[in-house]
Amino acid sequence: MKNEILRVFSFYFYLAKKSTRTRIFLLLSSAAVLMSLVIRVYRLAGNWTESGQVIFQNFLMVFFLQFLIVLLALFYGTSTVVEELENRTLPYLTARPVARAAIIIGKFLGYLTLTTILLFFSILLSYLILNLDRQFGMGDLWTIIRYSLVLWLGLAAYLSFFTFLGTWLRKPILVGLAFGFGWESVIQYFPGTTQKLSIAHYLKSLLPQYTSSSGKLGFLFIRLEPTKPVLAVIILIAIILFFLTLASLIFTYREYLFED
Amino acid sequence: MKAIIEAKNLSRWYGNVLGISEVNLEIEPGITALLGPNGAGKSTFMKIITGQLKPNLGEARIFGQKVWNNRQIFRRLGFCPEVDAFYDELNGQEFLTGLLSLYGFGKAECRKLARQALELVELQDVSSRPIRSYSRGMRQRLKVAQALAHDPEVLILDEPLSGLDPLSKRKLIRLIKDFRAEGKTVVVSSHVLPEVEAMTSEIILIHHGKILARGDIHFIRELIDTHPHMIRIKSTQYRELARALAGEDYILEISFQPEDQSVIFETHHRDRFFDRLNELLLESGLILDEITSPDDNLQAIFDYLVGR
Repeated sequence: MKNEILRVFSFYFYLAKKSTRTRIFLLLSSAAVLMSLVIRVYRLAGNWTESGQVIFQNFLMVFFLQFLIVLLALFYGTSTVVEELENRTLPYLTARPVARAAIIIGKFLGYLTLTTILLFFSILLSYLILNLDRQFGMGDLWTIIRYSLVLWLGLAAYLSFFTFLGTWLRKPILVGLAFGFGWESVIQYFPGTTQKLSIAHYLKSLLPQYTSSSGKLGFLFIRLEPTKPVLAVIILIAIILFFLTLASLIFTYREYLFED
Repeated sequence: MKAIIEAKNLSRWYGNVLGISEVNLEIEPGITALLGPNGAGKSTFMKIITGQLKPNLGEARIFGQKVWNNRQIFRRLGFCPEVDAFYDELNGQEFLTGLLSLYGFGKAECRKLARQALELVELQDVSSRPIRSYSRGMRQRLKVAQALAHDPEVLILDEPLSGLDPLSKRKLIRLIKDFRAEGKTVVVSSHVLPEVEAMTSEIILIHHGKILARGDIHFIRELIDTHPHMIRIKSTQYRELARALAGEDYILEISFQPEDQSVIFETHHRDRFFDRLNELLLESGLILDEITSPDDNLQAIFDYLVGR
């Protein structure tokens, strides 16, 4: 099974690299770098008094955590099966000596690797641009690694969930949009345990320095009642494994018909 | 000879629509053609025996093993689907190499096998061009190449000749026959009788999801020869042509289509008609623009065979 996963991973990583979707998301990731440049120029003009660190943190929360990783995961995750059905290429895969579960896991890993590269490239450049006015040290490296790992966990969790949606539903994009940009955002404003029914809650819990008073956009996190970091990591890993297993099982036992 | 493919009471329906019903078949090595009009159930049968669909009733076996989710079988099977679909961002070489890598071949082996397959279908010169730039015929040949690149023992080809020009058809038919000569099993579907005739004499007639008849192609030929055929000939001299053939005893009806300068002959003896037409062209020097058969599809023949 491991070898089969690696074979699928290798083929789909290559395929995804060449896809139009990846070019579009490369542009979108580059937009974060461009926005950082704009903010940097705005700051140089004296219009923004907070430090580069604080601006980066806000930027990370609003653009990366609540927008980019959700969008990346949504469009790659839901495409896992639906794209093969719409393009009618599924028989090329399902008539090969590869376990169906290996197809899902291999594609998941391929897409995760590719989106991680897009994400890390964007985070690193944005951080560097927003903090150009001071000397970099080990603390910066640790900050970048920490933020990147949190976002990577979020990316993997969303990707796993959307992969599940893609194997289960025929038109998963709309449901995915409603979940990613509706439920995930709105639920944050509810106090108590309700907000724990979202992936974003656990990601924000891993960035405890964000409180109602941190930064101009702190109001976005005003009702966060964080889960303990260790527990948040465990829950995120459990989400990844649970939905990936579910997606693999559905794909193994379900048959997929073309529209006609 | 031992059956390679077995179908027992195979039934499959899509909601209220019947795909196939109680199909019992044993297919041995060699070329077997599934012949039937569009919607007869050929593709459904092929999808079941290649593990793309599950039967609602009955079972399909290849080499004595159930097919669904059986990846040991897929290693020995090559499938060319009917749909014209590809990973268009890839080129021909990448497409084949990528699919071959799923079998666990090493990189060098994948490249070698892909090159061989591309040579077999004569696409080696365009192998580095994106698939999206391929013509319909090239895409069809590439689809066949992906089915046989890993040297399978069983080849399932769903309408492999559709979209090919006559020369490419001939070459592909030769390729399929070579495959049979190695003692392998080929199941090929078509709705065009002359194509099937060129490939094999072993045919299975399928219609409305049921196996109508099975046997040597001469059997169906005899049935068909008594069925009236329509032949439409386009020519600026269509009236002269009609006059010359009007006295032949095998011509049942002649009708004119002056708007596009053509004439339609109805005959119950196609071979005699074409023999006489050839003679006439040599004798009189008449020029023809186009010969088509308005009912040269199996639907008409099958309707005739089942007495509709």
